[in-house]
Amino acid sequence: MGLMNVKKKTVFFLMSLLGILAILAGSVSARDIILSEESNACLDCHAKRGIIKRFQNSESIEAYVDIDKFKSSAHNLLTCADCHNDFSEGKHPKTRFKSKEQYKIRSSLVCRKCHIDEQIKERSIHARLLTEEKEGKLHICTNCHGAHEIMPLTGEKNFTNEEHYCLKCHGNGLNMTLRNGEKLSLKIDASLLKHSVHKKLSCQDCHFGFSDAQHPKRNFSGIREFSIASADMCRRCHFDKYTKSMEGIHYAQLNQGNLKAPVCTDCHGSHSISHASKERIFTTKRCQRCHAKIYDIYAKSVHGNALLNEHNQDVPICVDCHTAHTIEEPHTLNYREKIPEMCSNCHANNAIVGKYGLSTSVVKTYLSDFHGITLGFYKQQKESLSKSARPIAVCIDCHGIHNINKATGPDSATVKANLAKRCRKCHKDATENFPDAWISHYESSYSKAPMVYIVNLMYNVFIPFLIAGLILQILLHIWRYAVNR
Amino acid sequence: MQSTDKGDKMVKRNMLKTDNRIGRFHTGRIIEHWTALITVVTLVATGLAQRFYYLDLSQWFIMKAGGIDIIRLTHRYTGIIFSIAAIVHIVFGIIGVVFKGWQPSMIINKKDFTDITHNIRYYLGIENHPAGCDRYDYKQKFEYWGVIIGGILMIATGAVLWFPITVTRFLPGEIIPTAKALHTNVAFVMFIITALWHIYNSIFSPEIFPLDTSIFTGYISRERMIKEHPLELARMEGKPLDEIVSSSENDFKTS
Repeated sequence: MGLMNVKKKTVFFLMSLLGILAILAGSVSARDIILSEESNACLDCHAKRGIIKRFQNSESIEAYVDIDKFKSSAHNLLTCADCHNDFSEGKHPKTRFKSKEQYKIRSSLVCRKCHIDEQIKERSIHARLLTEEKEGKLHICTNCHGAHEIMPLTGEKNFTNEEHYCLKCHGNGLNMTLRNGEKLSLKIDASLLKHSVHKKLSCQDCHFGFSDAQHPKRNFSGIREFSIASADMCRRCHFDKYTKSMEGIHYAQLNQGNLKAPVCTDCHGSHSISHASKERIFTTKRCQRCHAKIYDIYAKSVHGNALLNEHNQDVPICVDCHTAHTIEEPHTLNYREKIPEMCSNCHANNAIVGKYGLSTSVVKTYLSDFHGITLGFYKQQKESLSKSARPIAVCIDCHGIHNINKATGPDSATVKANLAKRCRKCHKDATENFPDAWISHYESSYSKAPMVYIVNLMYNVFIPFLIAGLILQILLHIWRYAVNR
Repeated sequence: MQSTDKGDKMVKRNMLKTDNRIGRFHTGRIIEHWTALITVVTLVATGLAQRFYYLDLSQWFIMKAGGIDIIRLTHRYTGIIFSIAAIVHIVFGIIGVVFKGWQPSMIINKKDFTDITHNIRYYLGIENHPAGCDRYDYKQKFEYWGVIIGGILMIATGAVLWFPITVTRFLPGEIIPTAKALHTNVAFVMFIITALWHIYNSIFSPEIFPLDTSIFTGYISRERMIKEHPLELARMEGKPLDEIVSSSENDFKTS
């Protein structure tokens, strides 16, 4: 045992030593750089903290250089004076700048002495910046590339990850002028990204084709065209939802040239994307952006009121009836025929409607009455006989669509008053009496539909007597016949 | 199914042809029965399919027939044929009885009730013979009036259901579901009377089996007349009832 311990300790010591050596070896390359005497002279002061350069507008900048970062930068072989032209060992002129911005612009000009326009415009991102420069908008090299810690583009990055690379530029106020003159902000709020469901993705997971090595030039005719094209990115991962939405009315509208039709990002957001189903009010508000009028009607309905004022999570929101992706044209016969099914998702489920004192037999009573039966057969006939059907009254015809209100209580009078009007849409000459032909989802009872109740009661008593009497007669007759034989 | 002079004449004519076959129904009655048979079967089939629409059999039937609209229209138009037949029958019956001196043989009388009790006693072994009936026995009268009263109710409620908008112009809306309840229940009663009682009495009854052919051929055997309608036979042949019954007793014993 003792021997084993000694061996283990030796191995551990040797391993640790190797580790330390490896770490030291890694840092040698940067430390190996020997700065020129001139540079060392500058750094005597500028490697220390506390030298502040003040500008006329009282902005300031610390004239500090991190030696280690400089040594590992792309420019580590240059001397200070190579860039800071006016300065040398003997010369340290006093300069005056209005602002930090002006100072940066001035300092950036020195980059262009080596990195000439012809060279830098090979990268599309620079080409655009150069064009903008000609239009009078100056760009500051150091804003994106840094100053003393500048890194070569190929080779080791000085960004901890891709986000930092992209956000170096896109974290700042970056704009793109589109063909129609619209200005598209390319600024990304890093804090939004952190809270999105995509926080673990890297930029190029969505922005396919863009990386620290590639930045293809894109040109869009307008902001809307840009948004529509961008939404295509979602397809690569969310293929199922994307395919579903291709069957939907929004996609069809888009195909017909209606650029206002929403694409993925219009509802889900882009960099701030969050889980869709978390907040039902929020989901509803997304639809409101385009369907404001319908939203207002819905907000006043029994469902909308409960959602918005009571934060009730049981009531249906837009997507419960219209679905989220396969949104259908709701004015078709096909859609109409699905309505009782939609309503019954909740109104036939006692776990949902029971607590509000609503009866689940509303669906059953509809389906077993004239309209419900007809609807059921029309649906079947369409499938098995491919017969076209006529529109049949469904839930919405009496109760309304987005403006559904309570059918009992103070609103019931309105519901009733509208009923005859609604009946007349199909039954042209219907009078005020006609709606009473439908006993309003009630099973007949002595108080609700006494005539129906009494008729049924009478026959429920009479028919068993009749059957029993006749069968008894038949049996007696057979018995007598058998006995006589 | 009223007894007619025409019927009596035919009976006399037929008696000359054969001793064993007695004419009972003329062609008009046979056509009437065929009409009732076909329309009632159609109405029951299309009606039951609508009433019990949720059963697989109904769904199969409706789909095979070409859809619910076809079934509904078939039901209604068959209803019209049934109504016409029923109205013609009633109107002619009334005219015949009132103006032409037809015997109102379908009228229910006191004897029918005593026949019922007599027959029950016979079934129980208290009486020796079944009740001797006239042209129509109480079973046939029950079927007849079941169909007539039921038919009138069906025609009325059917019309209400066919034209709910016109009806609710004059009557309250609740008439419609009431008519529906009545239509369904009366149909069920009629269905029981025909499917259970009528089919038993004219097909499955051991004395009749396999089929009472008189309404199809127009003739009935003398043996059956003696057993089932001795009063009518006695009247037709001008013999006293006892003679007819005693001959039947001999027949009954030998058979």
